[in-house]
Amino acid sequence: MIELIDNLGTGFSTALSLQNLGLCFLGVLIGTVIGVLPGVGPIATIAMLLPLTFKLDPTGALIMLAGIYYGAQYGGSTSAILVNIPGEATAVVTTLDGHQMARQGRAGIALGVAALGSFFAGSVATLVIAALAVPLTKLALLFGPADYFSLMVLGLAFAIVLARGPLLPAFCMIVVGLLLSTVGTDLETGEERLTFGMPNVVDGIDFAVLAMGIFGFAEILRNLENPEVRDVSRTAIGRMLPTREDVRRCVKPVLRGTFVGGLLGILPGNGAVLGPFASYTLEKKLSKRPKEFGSGAIEGVAGPESANNAGAQTAFIPLLTLGIPPNAVMALMVGAMTIHGIIPGPQVMTKSPDLFWGMIASMWIGNALLLIINMPLIPLWVRMLRVPYHLMFPAILIFCCIGIYSVNNSPNDVILTAFFGFFGYALYKFGFEPAPLLLGFVLGKLMEEKLRQAMVLSRGSFTTFIENPVSAGLLFLTVIVVVVAVLPSIRKSRDEVL
Amino acid sequence: MEPGNGGFVRAPRTVGAGVFMVLIGLFALYHSWGLTTGTTRQIGPGMIPQSLSVLLAICGVLLIVEGFVTRGEKLEAWKIRGPLFILGAVVIFGLAIKPLGLLLAAPLAMGIGGLASSETRPREIAIFAVVMTVFCLGLFKYALSLPIPLAPWLIGY
Amino acid sequence: MKKLFLALCVALGFAAAPAGAADYPTRPITLIVPFAAGGPTDVIARIAGEYMSQSLGQQIVVENIAGAGGTTGITRGSQAKNDGYTIMMGHMGTHGAAKALYPKLKYDPNKDFAPIGLVAGTPILVVARKTIEANTLKDFVALLKSRQDKMNEAHAGVGSVSFTTCSLFNGIVGVKPTRVTYRGTGPVINDMLAGKVDYACDQIVNLVPQVKAGNIKAFAIATPKRSPALPDLPTTTEAGMPEFQVSAWNALFAPKGTSKEIVTKLNQALDKALSTEGARKRILDLGGVIPEGGDRSPEYLGKFVASEVARWNKVLKK
Repeated sequence: MIELIDNLGTGFSTALSLQNLGLCFLGVLIGTVIGVLPGVGPIATIAMLLPLTFKLDPTGALIMLAGIYYGAQYGGSTSAILVNIPGEATAVVTTLDGHQMARQGRAGIALGVAALGSFFAGSVATLVIAALAVPLTKLALLFGPADYFSLMVLGLAFAIVLARGPLLPAFCMIVVGLLLSTVGTDLETGEERLTFGMPNVVDGIDFAVLAMGIFGFAEILRNLENPEVRDVSRTAIGRMLPTREDVRRCVKPVLRGTFVGGLLGILPGNGAVLGPFASYTLEKKLSKRPKEFGSGAIEGVAGPESANNAGAQTAFIPLLTLGIPPNAVMALMVGAMTIHGIIPGPQVMTKSPDLFWGMIASMWIGNALLLIINMPLIPLWVRMLRVPYHLMFPAILIFCCIGIYSVNNSPNDVILTAFFGFFGYALYKFGFEPAPLLLGFVLGKLMEEKLRQAMVLSRGSFTTFIENPVSAGLLFLTVIVVVVAVLPSIRKSRDEVL
Repeated sequence: MEPGNGGFVRAPRTVGAGVFMVLIGLFALYHSWGLTTGTTRQIGPGMIPQSLSVLLAICGVLLIVEGFVTRGEKLEAWKIRGPLFILGAVVIFGLAIKPLGLLLAAPLAMGIGGLASSETRPREIAIFAVVMTVFCLGLFKYALSLPIPLAPWLIGY
Repeated sequence: MKKLFLALCVALGFAAAPAGAADYPTRPITLIVPFAAGGPTDVIARIAGEYMSQSLGQQIVVENIAGAGGTTGITRGSQAKNDGYTIMMGHMGTHGAAKALYPKLKYDPNKDFAPIGLVAGTPILVVARKTIEANTLKDFVALLKSRQDKMNEAHAGVGSVSFTTCSLFNGIVGVKPTRVTYRGTGPVINDMLAGKVDYACDQIVNLVPQVKAGNIKAFAIATPKRSPALPDLPTTTEAGMPEFQVSAWNALFAPKGTSKEIVTKLNQALDKALSTEGARKRILDLGGVIPEGGDRSPEYLGKFVASEVARWNKVLKK
């Protein structure tokens, strides 16, 4: 305990130096901006800013880059709530209820709850990292390919629960999402699959391209056809602050979300993305008002947002304790460390304590700064929603276009997004929901990779999924989740028939 | 959105949805047919896309069946104006950005996009487009230093 | 009339004179790195670029174009204008093994480039999970031979350094293990730490911290001399397998047809960078090996690439 306080002391004294404080602020500010903007994401931004960080000392550089990363999570939620466009994969869930809240004139509350929930989650996660980093890493090492696969299957079960409407169409969307995730080059043989000769999808379809098309452009088309529905938020003045009731309803979801998101964030390979989905499912199933979910339930924002932010923080654990980056952004951090002459690995904790504890302390500071930056912006965002739609949508249009173009400097990406916009329009016309598709897409790549690895290791035997205890447990959980999801509708159709 | 008439097809929209899914499934199956399927011991590139396509097609058929048996929504009419101008604007931006640069492609795209809504007024959108372009210039090019062509035909980058 | 004609000729003469290679470079140079930012090749490229900028007087800007084992970026680079303002960082995979691995490769490593010079190489290690029942390379090879395809070898995907070098290793030992594909080196190390896979061959950069911490076992380093980063690790020659000599080399290339003066200027800048204390320290800290003397010349690189193409063709086409 004493050691922990001692270490945190070192950390805070490092993080609170004027330079590091300034860099932290700059990082979270840039992160928020790019998070709000469609297309431009933390990976591209961090890669671009990498050369600038050469002039800085390694601790300062990493503090800034980390700030960009979790700042982008905040920003991504903001655009999800305001305009139903998820800036990051982790913000997809927030669009479900967050945007509905905005439509009801409660955008301010949604943004506020998201910010406060995220701050709480971030603070707790920072403490967890400080105290339990090493034991938690051992947890991550328990997961082999079979276990991962089962975790992803559980994630897909969440997607079914997530769906607002009937199950069969939602399931179709998941499958389409999985299919879209196979587009690209096969990992093992290098063969191109379903790429149709398009060079920009040789490494797979970009998440931003799919999200902008199916959420962004299709949403604009939808709104243009339903002027009455979209104008609701413009007439209602809307509350800025949550009521007592609202706050009371959020407490437990925030706690649960932090726990779930924090745990999943440790898992390498983007476990963090599952956090919000798991939290949403949990809240929907535990709520006394499950019907509200999908039309503005505040728990549907509080839980996932906390999970989201907790996961973003705990994702640093494998990086800081083992030197293994759990996702592409962390891989950039590894690069930043290496360029500065720090070899990431188990010794970073002992050989560069200033760096290790300084980063942890700065994560908390970053969260505090994000709260300070974002809260006053909320009235501004809400006022922005009052802009007449016929001016708003060209603005969204151009932001999306530039954002997509900037990902790879590829005009083909922009045109592909237009195609997905049309695809999203078709899906909407036939009554499908886009959210499960996006989840299937995000999980698909990892699922297939883990399935194939598990099969190779088990020499073709499917029993490996039951033999591995973690995997068996997860699959069991999946069955429970699916049954609980399907049961009400079976009962309902039985009631209808009778 | 009223429920489907009590006619032969009880839920036209669901049937349409099913057909759509079957088509996607068959399309994907056709294009992944040539890939090696492999065995469970060594799963090839084809196995997952092929299985998913088949699964999707089956689900599509189930939807079609459901559409004949349960009551549901009618097919919604597809509008032309929205998709044409919005998606057209995006495509034009994509084609124009490299040769014409941001300073021309952005207002062009916004202008064309504006045509999608009947509420747009020409002078308003023109001014707004110019203001937005300048804002985007400041934000994307200068604040974020993204390498976006500004006006290659005029200043070379 | 005659005067006008003469004046015209002079004017045309000036216009036709090539933009003096004498004043190259007059604006920033783009260095295409065909891998994601943060990886070993990217880091080495940035270090080289930073120091080269100092002697060239112009910034070298890194552009990451990742994909298809590095071939996407190199294809783009090979098709760029050969005015010296676009160069690229190729490596063992993109210029040595690519021809054998990708039948539809859109460039020829021997013909479509103007070699500039070798930058640095990262030695390859043979590593295994820490619970493996062998402590020396000899014992490990015996274990491999007895278990054959029961052994699981992890690699980072077709076209990656870990794939190509282990293909060579497996060929020398004469074993056909079960090869498990991962998406990148991170997951490979992860599963090796967890004990789910048995062994791998990878660049020293990624492995030093884990070996030092005792989380994975290293058997040998495939270079003539031991590495200062891991001084207790025997070389493959010392450990009894001298045929396994390989290092993931990195080199700078320009598109074919780039003028000789420009190539020479770039080569000199590179040479200077590789002799600078700062750059050397950073590359050596990574465990990298810096070429010396004649090995830094463009001619040497050209011949080296040809020999690598032939070598990997033999190993991988089997």
